Amino acid sequence: MQFWALIVDSFRESVDRKIFWVLVGLTLLITLVMLSVGFAGEEVTLFFGMWSTETDRFNPLSDIGRANLVGFVVYLLASTMMGWIGVTLMIIATAGAFPAFSERGALDVVLAKPINRARLFLYKYFATMVFVVLQGTLFFVLTFLVMWLRWGVWAPGYLLSIVFLVLLFSYLYCVSVLVAVKTQSAVAAILLTLFAWVLFALIHQAPSVFETFPDLKKRRTVYVAVRVASWIPPKTGDFPYLAARWSQAGTSIDALPYFDMDTATELERTQIERARQVEEQELAKNQFYSIGSSLLFEIVVVLLAMWTFARKDY
Amino acid sequence: MVGITEMTNWAVDLIDVRKIYGKTIHALRGVNIQVGRGEIFGLLGPNGAGKTTLVKIMMTVVRPTHALGTLLGRPLGHRGKLAGTGYLPEDHRFPGYLTGAQLLDYYAALGKVPRSRRKVNAAKLLDRVGMSEWATTRIDKYSKGMLQRLGIAQALMNDPELMVLDEPTDGLDPVGRRDVRELLLELKSAGKTVFLNSHLLSELEMVCDRVAILVDGLVARQGTLDELTEETVEYRIAFSGDARAIQEKVEALGASLGANVITVSGHDTGKVNAMIDLLRAADLSVESVQPHRFSLEDILVQVLADQSATPVARPVHP
Repeated sequence: MQFWALIVDSFRESVDRKIFWVLVGLTLLITLVMLSVGFAGEEVTLFFGMWSTETDRFNPLSDIGRANLVGFVVYLLASTMMGWIGVTLMIIATAGAFPAFSERGALDVVLAKPINRARLFLYKYFATMVFVVLQGTLFFVLTFLVMWLRWGVWAPGYLLSIVFLVLLFSYLYCVSVLVAVKTQSAVAAILLTLFAWVLFALIHQAPSVFETFPDLKKRRTVYVAVRVASWIPPKTGDFPYLAARWSQAGTSIDALPYFDMDTATELERTQIERARQVEEQELAKNQFYSIGSSLLFEIVVVLLAMWTFARKDY
Repeated sequence: MVGITEMTNWAVDLIDVRKIYGKTIHALRGVNIQVGRGEIFGLLGPNGAGKTTLVKIMMTVVRPTHALGTLLGRPLGHRGKLAGTGYLPEDHRFPGYLTGAQLLDYYAALGKVPRSRRKVNAAKLLDRVGMSEWATTRIDKYSKGMLQRLGIAQALMNDPELMVLDEPTDGLDPVGRRDVRELLLELKSAGKTVFLNSHLLSELEMVCDRVAILVDGLVARQGTLDELTEETVEYRIAFSGDARAIQEKVEALGASLGANVITVSGHDTGKVNAMIDLLRAADLSVESVQPHRFSLEDILVQVLADQSATPVARPVHP
C-alpha cells in the first residue's frame, strides 16, 4: 500500500513537469519521422512517399536490410535520442525529486508515518523511476510498432531496450540521489551526475590508451590500477551495445555480409556455426560483466545514500 | 526504567529527552513531560526553547541524543504506534501538484489506512474543515489558511488516538481559530489526546487541561492551569487618598503600594483584611478589592524573568 502510494505520487509529480511532456513530444516527433519513411523492396520512400530512392542496404525483405534498419534505429535514434538526450533530460527532471521530498516541512508528515526510513528511501528511489519507465516504454513501444507495422521488421528483442535504458538511468540516478540527500540541492545533483557520467566514460575508456601506446604497459602498477579502476564505475557506454545485441539477436550474424550461408561449403558452415557460438558466449559474458558490475556500483551508492537519508534530522 | 503499568497510563511519557545539535547546541537538556489520555496538553515557551524539536522527536522526525519514555504505551520511536497518531508540523509544505483530496489519500495510504476508509474519511474531514469545495483543486492554488485546514484534516485521516499539532492556528483567521478550538474540544470529548504546541497563549488557555512551559530546553513549569496560576493569584485593593503615611506598614506586611492600589500576592485573605484595616485606620476610603489571577502570558513572562529554570519532577500517576 505504501509503495503503491509513492508510485502514484511519483507519477503525478512526473506528469506535472514540463520536461515530461517535452520528452513525450520528442518521442512523438521521432515516431512521426519514422512513420514518414517507407520501404518496399529496394525502394525507400521519405516524407510519406514524396521522395523515393532505391537501395538494397535497407531492404526489409533481406536479413542484411532488416539488421541495418534495426541497427539504424538502435544506434541513431534509441542511443542518441534516448541514451544521451533523453537520459540527460531525465536526470534534470528527476534531480529535484529527493530535495523536494526531503525538504524541511515536506518530509515531516511522511516521517511520522509507520514506515521506517530505509524502506521509505528505497520506495521513493524506485518510485521516482516511474518517470523513466514511462518515457522508455512509450519510446520503445512506439518505435517498435513502426518498425513492425510500417516497415515489416519484427524485432521483439528491441523491447528489452526499455530495461537497458532504465538500467542506464539508474546507474546515474543513484549518484544524483546521493548528491541530493547530501546537499539538498537539485542543481548540485544535476551537475555532479553529469560530471560523473563523463568521468565513468573516461575511466571505462582509459585501458584503451595502453592498447594505443603499448609501451605504457611496461609501467605495470599503473596499468593494473587503470584496469582495476575501469571495473568499478557503471558501464554507461554499453547501452547502445546491449540494445543492439538483443534487438538483432538471431539476425545479426546471419546478416553479416561477408558470410553467405547459402553458398558456403559444409566445412565453412560448421566453422561459421562454431564462431557464432563462441561469439555468443563471449557476448553473454560481457553482458553479465557490464550489468553485474554496474549494478554492484549502484547498490553501494544507494546504500550510502540510504544511510545518509536515514541518519539525518529534518 | 519505566514500569509496564505506567507505560499504559500516559498517552505521552517523555523522560530525560535531550538533543544536542553538533557538539555545542543543546536544544533540549533533559525534558520530562507527561500527558494523560484524553487530555488536551499545551506546550509553550519562547522562540528557541526547543518546542518544535521536542515535537519532532516525538514524531521521529528528529533523532534524539537521548530519550526514554513512551508514546501510546510503546517506546518512543516505535513505528507501529505512529499509525495511531496524527501530526501537523509547523511550516508544512505539501506537494503543489496534488489536489486536496489526493493529498489526504496519499498521506493516509502511507499511514496504512485501508482504501475504503480513506475515501470516506477524506470526504468527511474535508467537509469538517470547510474545504469540500476545494477538494479537487490543486494545492498550489490554496491560501495559507486553506493549507492549514487541509493539514489538520490530513492529521485526522487515520482517526488517531493522539494528535500532535504544531502551531495549528498559524495562518488562520479568527473564525478559523474558533473552528480549530471547537475541533479540539470535539476530539477531547471523543476521548482523544491532543498535544498542542502554540505561540498563542490565549488559545492554549481556552482549551488546555494541562500545560508545560519550556525554557531553554528544560521544562520550567508543568501542571493544570489552576496549579500553575495558584501561586500567582494576587489581590488588588483600590483606594482613594494619600497613603504615603502607611507605606512602611504596607511593605512590612509583604504587600506593595502603587498609585492608589495595594497589591497583595498569594491566597492570603488575612493579609488582605489587614490591609483594609490599615487603610481604614488611616482614614483612606477603600473603593474595591479584586482578586486577580495571572494569565499564561503573565506566567510565561515571569518564568522568562526567572532564568534559573530547573527540571520539573515527573508525576507518578496520570
